Amino acid sequence: MTHGRGKSAYAMLAVVAISGTMLVAARAATPAIASSPTERDGIAADPAVLLGRYLVITHACGGCHGGNEEDPSAPGWLVGERAPDQQFLIGPCAVTPGAQPCFHTHPRNLTPDNETGLGRFTERQIFNALRYGLRPEDTPDVKITSNTPGEGNYPLHPHMLAPPMPWPSWRHMPDNELRAIAAYLKRGLKPVTNKVPESEGPPDFWASEYQEMPQLKMGPLQPAPFPTVNERGPGGK
Amino acid sequence: MQTLERARRAWIALALPAMGWFASTRPREATPEVLRQPPVLRNTSSVPGIVEVTLTAAPARLRLLPGGPLVNVYAYNGSIPGPTIDVREGDSVIIHFRNQLPEPTTVHWHGVHLPADADGSPLYPIAAGTAHDYRFRLGAGSAGTYWYHPHPDRRSGFQIAMGLFGGLIVRAPNDPLAAAGIPDKLLILSDNRFDSTGAVAFPDPKSIQASIDVENGREGNVLFVNGQVMPTIPIRRGEVQRWRVVNASAGRVYRLALAGQRLVQVGTDGGLFEHPVDVPDVMVANSERVEFLIRGTGEPEHGAALEDLPYDRYMPQTRPADWDKTRELLTLHYTDEPSVRPPEIPSVLRPIPAFDTTHVAAHRVIVMSQGMIDGRQMDMQRVDIRSHVGATEIWTIQNVVGMDHPFHLHGFHFQILDRGGVPEPIRGWKDTGNVPKHSSIRIAVRFDDYPGKWMYHCHILEHEDEGMMGILQLR
Repeated sequence: MTHGRGKSAYAMLAVVAISGTMLVAARAATPAIASSPTERDGIAADPAVLLGRYLVITHACGGCHGGNEEDPSAPGWLVGERAPDQQFLIGPCAVTPGAQPCFHTHPRNLTPDNETGLGRFTERQIFNALRYGLRPEDTPDVKITSNTPGEGNYPLHPHMLAPPMPWPSWRHMPDNELRAIAAYLKRGLKPVTNKVPESEGPPDFWASEYQEMPQLKMGPLQPAPFPTVNERGPGGK
Repeated sequence: MQTLERARRAWIALALPAMGWFASTRPREATPEVLRQPPVLRNTSSVPGIVEVTLTAAPARLRLLPGGPLVNVYAYNGSIPGPTIDVREGDSVIIHFRNQLPEPTTVHWHGVHLPADADGSPLYPIAAGTAHDYRFRLGAGSAGTYWYHPHPDRRSGFQIAMGLFGGLIVRAPNDPLAAAGIPDKLLILSDNRFDSTGAVAFPDPKSIQASIDVENGREGNVLFVNGQVMPTIPIRRGEVQRWRVVNASAGRVYRLALAGQRLVQVGTDGGLFEHPVDVPDVMVANSERVEFLIRGTGEPEHGAALEDLPYDRYMPQTRPADWDKTRELLTLHYTDEPSVRPPEIPSVLRPIPAFDTTHVAAHRVIVMSQGMIDGRQMDMQRVDIRSHVGATEIWTIQNVVGMDHPFHLHGFHFQILDRGGVPEPIRGWKDTGNVPKHSSIRIAVRFDDYPGKWMYHCHILEHEDEGMMGILQLR
């Protein structure tokens, strides 16, 4: 039952129902724990893949997507849901059994398997998924330059990743880090066939839920300049 | 560890607006009408081997719902379905087509092997108020059940919903079922949606229903066979009938079963199988055709419904609440007329040689995702696949999303080699193959002749109109 390194709070998602809108808040990852991946894994591997591996470990992708939060050698590493207890209940039914609406969402297979994983998606589509929350299979393989639906290759009717995937927080990561995660998933993993059920959701694939979140507009969001009232500035005040 | 894992998961409570989008109604007035066959288009040529017909697409006012009002529709020669084009192998067909619609259209002769410029693809629009002659010749072995429908850029779903579709039957001189005295009937399945005035209804483009239609294809809650709601087909004891079934629905897929008897499937898109196959039910994806035999084995004066069994082709996000309900299409009525001697059902129908795949010019992977093929939407100026006349190719059609996509290739029949790695048990000529969610099919095709540009696309009409289509160019 030990979980080590005090990361139990990681990926706690607090969600509050507010008159038809959804508010998701995710706490950021705890400090890095791995030694430099390039030292540990030798010189043969692609640095982007190794950076991606480090980010996947430190963001505990494996906690939901299978295997283990932080151990790439664990069985089922990133192969997605393998048992019903790994699925999520989204909606009032999460609190009150039988309440409606009720959606089941499923951590998907992140390995590069062609049919059941990410094999047929490009690294740019995976990047767009992490940065904009767009389902890669529903989004053309193009560079997106806007966060307004219908502009700059941002889809007019976006299909978003199902909750609780915390992309609204992780989209703040720099481009090179998101690209590195895509590189690791596409080139650093062996394909594993594991068919995960399609996540459920509203007919607009969550788009209106995200659009209606006042503080979580779609697309990149510039955080407020440092320091805010909650933060200590350089002078310590 | 597992307990901790679960404790760490956030169980999200989320208040959504009332889920009105799942509401669905199913009006159905039983009508005792006997199923009618669409009128056969009159051949105005007296030259043997030449069939010359006139087909006009125009706005009309027709009664679609039993007892309902006259409503605005589009119709071929004033009827829905349009008239049947009934021809024979070897015929040269000339169709004098007139477009009297207020918009461009085309006529796509779905499944027919013909020159690219006669295919009625979106590359060859017929402007409003103009005419065009379609000409093609039906080769040996082409006998089968086909259909025709508009295929203009981005407007196929609308025009077909408005009533433009019809059957095309090519008959073989040596059809073994006809020789056995088995009569055939054409059954064109369609569905439609109506507003409170009885008019054909389309959703507000900004509504939830519009986005559901884009996903599922526009499904109607009223099911028609040859434009009739719940018609009756009489059958005498001992009689055998051959039903040629066309799925002309934009999004609805039918899994047909007949209460009280198994079906004897004898054919598919491009005509007869090699042998009859006994099946409990048969699936007909969008634009597919099936041919099967039914038998007069029931109790006289009793009926059996032709049922559409539930089949989950849907994304969970837009799956209709009543997807798992069995629907009824028509009633087979066992009459008390004197019985007839059952005809002998031939055990051999015709040979279908397998493609020689020892010399394959190309193996390709075609990826279908939501609204896209190979990650792109169609561009009429772009060529997606280049090949040449004479090439035999094997295509793996891969569906990477959680709903089915029926894949249609224009102009050439293919053979399905396997579905999800499982070898196809029955060889047949196909122009459309359903690719279930998260799976793939492999097809073999040979581009015998007819250079030019050919479409391949998802035959859910709203997907096609959204650009889930590619262009194959043969030189």
